[in-house]
Amino acid sequence: MLISRRIARVALALGFASCAGAGLSANALAQDKLVRVWHTETEPQTIKAFNDIARRFEAKNPGVKIEAEGLAWGDLEGKIMASLAAGAPPELSHGQPITCTALQAKGLLNPLDEVVKAIGEANIWDQVKRVCNVDGKQYGLVHAAGTSLLIYRKDMAAKANLKPPKTWADLLANAKALTQDTNNDGKIDIYGITVPGDNLFINIMLGELIKANGGTLFDKANKPQLTDKRMIETLEFWRELVKYAPPGWEGHGYLQTFQNLHGQKAAMMFQGYGRGAGMIEKFAPKEMANDKTFDVWIKPHGPSGSAPAAQVDEEPWMLFKASKNQKEAIEFLKFFYQDDNYLEYVSTVPIHLFPITKSLRNSAKYQNVEMIQRWKGWIEVQQGYLDKDQGKPTLVVDWADMTEKPYLMEVLGSGILRDMVMDVVVEKMEPQRAAEKAQKRLEDLMRSKGYLKG
Amino acid sequence: MPPTNAKGTDAGPTALAQTGLARPRPLRLSEQATGLLLVLPAVLLLLALTIYPVVYGAWISTFNKHSFFPEQTFVGLGNYTYVLTDPEFWNSVRLGAIYAVASIVLQIGLGVAAALVVNETFPGRNIVRSILIFPYVIPTVVAVILWKWLLNSQFGLINYLLEDAGLIDRPISWMGKDWIMVSLVLVSVWQFFPFVVLGVLARLQSIPGELYEAAAIDGANALQRFVHVTLPQLQAVLFIVILLRSIWMFTKFDTPWLMILGGGAETYIRTLPVYTYQRTFAYYEAGIGAAMAVLMFLMLAVATAIYFRLFRHEEAL
Repeated sequence: MLISRRIARVALALGFASCAGAGLSANALAQDKLVRVWHTETEPQTIKAFNDIARRFEAKNPGVKIEAEGLAWGDLEGKIMASLAAGAPPELSHGQPITCTALQAKGLLNPLDEVVKAIGEANIWDQVKRVCNVDGKQYGLVHAAGTSLLIYRKDMAAKANLKPPKTWADLLANAKALTQDTNNDGKIDIYGITVPGDNLFINIMLGELIKANGGTLFDKANKPQLTDKRMIETLEFWRELVKYAPPGWEGHGYLQTFQNLHGQKAAMMFQGYGRGAGMIEKFAPKEMANDKTFDVWIKPHGPSGSAPAAQVDEEPWMLFKASKNQKEAIEFLKFFYQDDNYLEYVSTVPIHLFPITKSLRNSAKYQNVEMIQRWKGWIEVQQGYLDKDQGKPTLVVDWADMTEKPYLMEVLGSGILRDMVMDVVVEKMEPQRAAEKAQKRLEDLMRSKGYLKG
Repeated sequence: MPPTNAKGTDAGPTALAQTGLARPRPLRLSEQATGLLLVLPAVLLLLALTIYPVVYGAWISTFNKHSFFPEQTFVGLGNYTYVLTDPEFWNSVRLGAIYAVASIVLQIGLGVAAALVVNETFPGRNIVRSILIFPYVIPTVVAVILWKWLLNSQFGLINYLLEDAGLIDRPISWMGKDWIMVSLVLVSVWQFFPFVVLGVLARLQSIPGELYEAAAIDGANALQRFVHVTLPQLQAVLFIVILLRSIWMFTKFDTPWLMILGGGAETYIRTLPVYTYQRTFAYYEAGIGAAMAVLMFLMLAVATAIYFRLFRHEEAL
């Protein structure tokens, strides 16, 4: 067979030309210093505010480009890990606090102390400074904090003459009282409480409940404590609580629990957040979309506990060691936390995104944000959790867990805790048996990861 | 035709030499070499994109390896021993089999029925055919979001219609424990039965009309014509369709995964591909995940071999 040499030469030349072209365009792109940012705030108004801040930063810093991407919680961890494995992480990313400590333990992060210094260390709330702080260095800096909330129908509670629940037993009584057949047709129209059934939120709730019952998930030697009496009590409580939840609650994700609340299918929401105020204003009937109808109670404690516990949604910014433009990323964060920029950001979801700086939180500009005026009670309860140190990140029962238990991320991902809860509340397995089953699985996992000996 | 110069005269070797232009020398390749050269890109792609990942996966399955970090320890067949004694693994095989069998049976039933209908002549047939293909061409993520909205237990249209028609007296929790597998099968059947329609319809259109005429002359009614003429003619295409759909449904990841994302009683549709993904990307156990993938591959290979043996005749067709 004959192939013209001229054709071969042309093909070769085209090949070289395309390679050179690709190289040239890569060079052209490289003229800007690119700071890639991954964050978990996906509401359109927050994305817009963040992008506006980024554009202003770019205008003040020619030659630097901020490329921000909003990602759902569930997608983030896997994406971070894949980018690290590929050796191409973004400069900055949000992550779960336990992800931050896991990555710090592997030496993959650089501290953000320069940003802390620029904000003023004394200007940052103590609770926030405890997140991903290792040996006095701040490896993760929270973008904004918001605690979980027990949201309830104030109008219905008043009608039923219910008091704020102090203990789990009180909460069960309230849930029972609020489970109502409102039109007397023999069918329940509104259920007492809505709880989530997906892995992340069951883990969040379990962490909260075990703390509120004075228990823990692991001992000092990393041995799981799932068969402990306080865990068994927690599982028993959960089993009772879902009797007052809408049927099929195990299939309800975070957003559907909100739908149940503002759609008047449930009278309480155990794993609510300040973000819900915005959803209520948007989706509930106009005459109900206020804090006279939807208010928050302080969460109750368990029979072996003495104080409430809440989860704090506070993803920290992380700066990756393997990223290219770290200096620019630090400068961007300093700019982000400047009062005017930061106010613009937190004001997009004001009842959920608590500013980490005292200066902003105490400022008139922040206090006068309209929505904060409308939902003051919700803010006060969150402030109370934070001030009394009753709020912790997901699965963190004690602050020492942040640094001493770098495996919590794997525990969360494994779904073992979720399976244990489901075994009890859906499969009707005895709590002791379900706990023993999960204990064995968790011990196997811990051993395979080298965290548990023997 | 010999090349000519600008004046239109013969530009043979001498003329070219006179003008200083050398005639390009042809590159001589044997037919065998040309053949190899032509298949080389395909072979390279196959090696890089199929063979290498499979071999690498099998190799990784002998290590206790973190999914993203370079930590790894050789464990030989330890991962296989672990997986084969893991009740969750067998539960996921069971759920995967239920999902695959139920959805394939319904896809075939619905697909063949729909193909028979649109093979007939009626006004608007082309529009109906186009509409039938629609579920197959929309992205899975769109299909699942759409169905999750329709099946929402509190506010979904399906429950509303069922309640309105008096068929149920309280909303069905489609994403809860008791119904999520049904919902998953429903979504999958809706999305993939058009594939069966396409395959079967193509074959139906090529069945000679004389066969039906002969059967009619012999007094065969519609059912008898279907059983004795149509079905035998469809055997070969159904053989392939069932084989492909079985492989695809047993390894289906996106539909069940999207069904449980953001809510959905995950435990009850945690099929083998979903569980494999979780072991790899949530537990970060690449070794165990790879061992599960290898086992899944072996299961499919064995099932395919059995299928070929059972239906040797259709294979020959």
